[in-house]
Amino acid sequence: MDFSQFNGTEQAHMTKVIEKKQMQDFMRLYSGLVERCFNACAQDFTSKALTTNESTCVQNCTDKFLKHSERVGARFAEHNAGEWRSPHFII
Amino acid sequence: MSFLFGGGKSVEGSVDPAKIEMAVAELDMITDVFNRLVNSCHTKCISSTPNNHRYVEGDLLKGESVCIDRCTAKFFEVNKKVGERMSAMGSAAQATGSFGR
Repeated sequence: MDFSQFNGTEQAHMTKVIEKKQMQDFMRLYSGLVERCFNACAQDFTSKALTTNESTCVQNCTDKFLKHSERVGARFAEHNAGEWRSPHFII
Repeated sequence: MSFLFGGGKSVEGSVDPAKIEMAVAELDMITDVFNRLVNSCHTKCISSTPNNHRYVEGDLLKGESVCIDRCTAKFFEVNKKVGERMSAMGSAAQATGSFGR
């Protein structure tokens, strides 16, 4: 996004807003990932501890999702660079 | 999308609430689109494939990576098409003075 039209105070304000949103995004990513990987991996309820298979599954599920999200982010940034001419836009 | 912000530099030290609101709305929109994109393509390329029902692999497979690239490209195309249809509907509605039908 292009903040060159913003004065110093406005830029500082936007930085605060962005920081807050990044925190919210992170929390949402975390809880979303817990839900996603729990639903995909937690199968056996004869024990309260995660089985070896379940822990491996959770680890793979998390890794894969983060790699997925990274790749989508790269494609998204490429698309935006072409469409919106916004060198400041990083996700 | 900097055309949204309009206007030149405002007086140093003052905050224009309208400008901030626009920027925040744009930010929210971009974040929302991105999150939808991640979710849709994860459903279509990752979690729906049978070998991921137990996640035996933590890396993206070749096929999955290709799927993600195509999925994002397609998503943007759909985004554009829907936008075009909606603006066509909007201008048609403006011309006739009614919406829908």
